[in-house]
This record gives sequence, structure tokens and C-alpha cells, in this order.
Amino acid sequence: MSPSTPSSDLRPYFDDLESFADGQMTPAEQEAFELRLEQDEALADAYAAYEQITADLRWAAGHNTLRLRLQALDERMNQRGDALARTEQLVKRRRRRWAALGFVGAVMLLLSVGVAAWYFGRSGNARPTRNWEAYYQPDPGPAVTTGLLHSRPLLGEALDQYQAGHYPAALHSLGRVSATSVGADTLLYLRGLILLRQGQGNAAQLYLRRVGDENSTSELARRARYHLGMAHWQANEPIEALAELRAVAADAQNPYQASARKAVASGVLVPKE
Amino acid sequence: MSAPLAETLTQLRVGNQKFLVDFYQRSRHLFARWAQRQFKLEVPQAHALLQDTLLDFYDQVADGRLTLLPADLRAHVYGMAQQRLDAQVPANVPLPAAEASRRQRLLTQFNQLGADCQQVLTYFYFRGYQFEKMGGKMGFPNATVARRQKSTCLRKLYELLK
Repeated sequence: MSPSTPSSDLRPYFDDLESFADGQMTPAEQEAFELRLEQDEALADAYAAYEQITADLRWAAGHNTLRLRLQALDERMNQRGDALARTEQLVKRRRRRWAALGFVGAVMLLLSVGVAAWYFGRSGNARPTRNWEAYYQPDPGPAVTTGLLHSRPLLGEALDQYQAGHYPAALHSLGRVSATSVGADTLLYLRGLILLRQGQGNAAQLYLRRVGDENSTSELARRARYHLGMAHWQANEPIEALAELRAVAADAQNPYQASARKAVASGVLVPKE
Repeated sequence: MSAPLAETLTQLRVGNQKFLVDFYQRSRHLFARWAQRQFKLEVPQAHALLQDTLLDFYDQVADGRLTLLPADLRAHVYGMAQQRLDAQVPANVPLPAAEASRRQRLLTQFNQLGADCQQVLTYFYFRGYQFEKMGGKMGFPNATVARRQKSTCLRKLYELLK
């Protein structure tokens, strides 16, 4: 034992000292032990040493208990701190991932928009237009001269209005022109032209068909066949339009041969399977 | 000192250590920042220093060296920690004090005992449990077994001290 601890050997007295200190003796045994303590110096020294040890043991046990409690608390707090840090890290990682996904999404969206814009822009140039007007070669009709206005003023007025794009007025004026002064086919042809330009393809066909009879070889009939084909096209009748335009394209004497060939060659009138 | 503070010391002396455990929980983070700033201590070292300092404080209260709770407990504990660092006291060793070497020796031998013996002696000498209650806690069949177990453990400790 250390110098400050009583050097008595407790072993011979251990049972008695313990029973006395722990209150395990009967009152008679206790009284007898107290008497021995007064008379036996070695026993008194042993008792003092025993008391010292148990006092130190009480301190050591308390000290150790507090140390263990603080260590356990420290560990719990560390684990909690680690868990919080991990959670925070996870949240940050998720935020970063969402931000990255958002960025990628935005880039993809921009790319899609760009590709779509390029595709549709490109298709406007590369793919043939399906609009009949893109292939239509209009017939302005005879020039409105002073002589015409003087000799046939109603026809001149109608032509003037037609060339200016005033189609209803032109039709109205044309209706007043006498067939005897101009010719029935010319009137039918002009009416067909004006109706076609007005967007009434079906109505235009009635007049143009009468002029462009297959058996007729006049230049007006040739012209009328071209405009008839375009009238069918305008009326969404591609098969009829293609048939008329092919005939025009095959007619070397038709002034609209080149235009008709172009329309036929584009293939836009060929029905898709 | 207010009544609750006076009560705190009494509670500590009879083994109620909740006050110090709560203090550690509340102060650990701030103490580590202070120790890091003042002494460049790493966080785990700072935590260990606070634990040792609170053990010193407990010892002072337990053996009667501290009879009044300091008005500024935080400043007192921080001062004790600084003293510990200045004196370069190894970790887990209490500050030098009267009878410290004897107690330290007993503490060392106590820690050499098996876990059951440490628990039995702690229940009896620190918690003040009766043999019956201690037997229940330890899973002994009755109080007599608990008393014999405690006696055996005390003898083992004594033999280690001899």
C-alpha cells in the first residue's frame, strides 16, 4: 500500500470488519465488536485501513461512473453530430444533383428547341411546299390600254379591277360585259381566272372546264387547262389537278408547260401510299 | 449562492452527477471552440480536456475541497482546464491533490477488476444499494449471493492493492 494508507493487514479481520461496516451483525455481535475495537489496537488499525479503502472506493466508483457517463454522452453527441453532418451532406448532394439535373434539363430543352427550329427552318427550304400558290403562274390578262377602255370600257374596267386585286368588283364588272362584244370563251376564261384568284377553286373549275375542252386546240383552251389544274389543286383535288397539269406539261404548245412541269416534278400532288 | 446552486453541491456529494453531465452537454461545443482558438486543440482533444476538468471538479466537490459553487461556473471550469494544460497533466489523470496518489492507485486497481466486480462495488459503495436491490440489478438469485459477491470483489481489490 502507499505510505498514506494504513499498513495493517486486513486479511485476518476482513469478515468481521465487513459484517460490522455493512450492518450484518446482530446487536450483541455489534456491541462485542465495538468493545474489541477499544481494546485491540491491531483491530482498530485494521478498521481504520478498511474505512480508508471503502472511502477511496466510494470516490473511485463515483469518479469512474462520471467518467463513463461523460464518455458515453460524448460518443452519443459525436454520433448525433455525424448523423446531422451526413444528413446535411445528403441534402446538399441532393440539391446539387437537382441543380445539375435542372441544368441538364434546361440544356436539353434549349437543344430540343434549337433542333426543332433548325428542322422546321430546314424543312421550309428542303421540302417542297404543298401550297398551290407557290407553283401558280398567274395570267394578268390583256393589258388595259386607252384603246381598250375606249372600245370596251366594261371589259377594261373589269380587267383593271382584276389586276388590282379587287376580285368581287372585277366579277361584278365582268358580269356586265356582253358576250357578243368580247367572245363567250374569253368571258368564261376571265371569270374562271378571277374566281381562282378569289379562292373559289370549285366555282372556277366550271368556267375553265368549258373553255379548256380536250378537243379544243386554241391557245385560250391551252391556258384554261393549266388554270383548271390549279383550280383542282386549290380545291384539294390533287388527283384531278395532277392529271390536268401532266397534260399541260406534255403539251409543247402550252404557254404554261414549264410551270406545269415544275409543279408535276415537285411530286407534291402524287398521293402518298 | 442561490438555493438551487447550494443544492447542486449537495447532490454532487451524494452522487447525483446530472448537473455535470448537463453542463458537459451544454458546453461541449463552445468549450471546443474556445480551446481550439486559445490552445490550437483539435476538437476530440478539447472534448477529452473538458471531461477531465469536470472529473477534477467532481473530485473537488466529493472530497470537500470545494464547498461553494463558483459564481461563474463556466469561467471556473475554463480556468481549471487552462491550469491542466499549463501543468501538462496527462489525460484521464486527476489534478494533483492531497492523497491523490493513494486514490489514484486505488482507481487504477479498481479498473483492473472485472466489469461485474466494478459494477457490484459501484452499486454498493457509490449508489448505496442494499444487497437485495443490487442482487436484482445484477441478476443474482438472492441478497446473500449479492453480499458474497460484493465481499469477494472487495477482497480482490484489496489483494491488488497489497
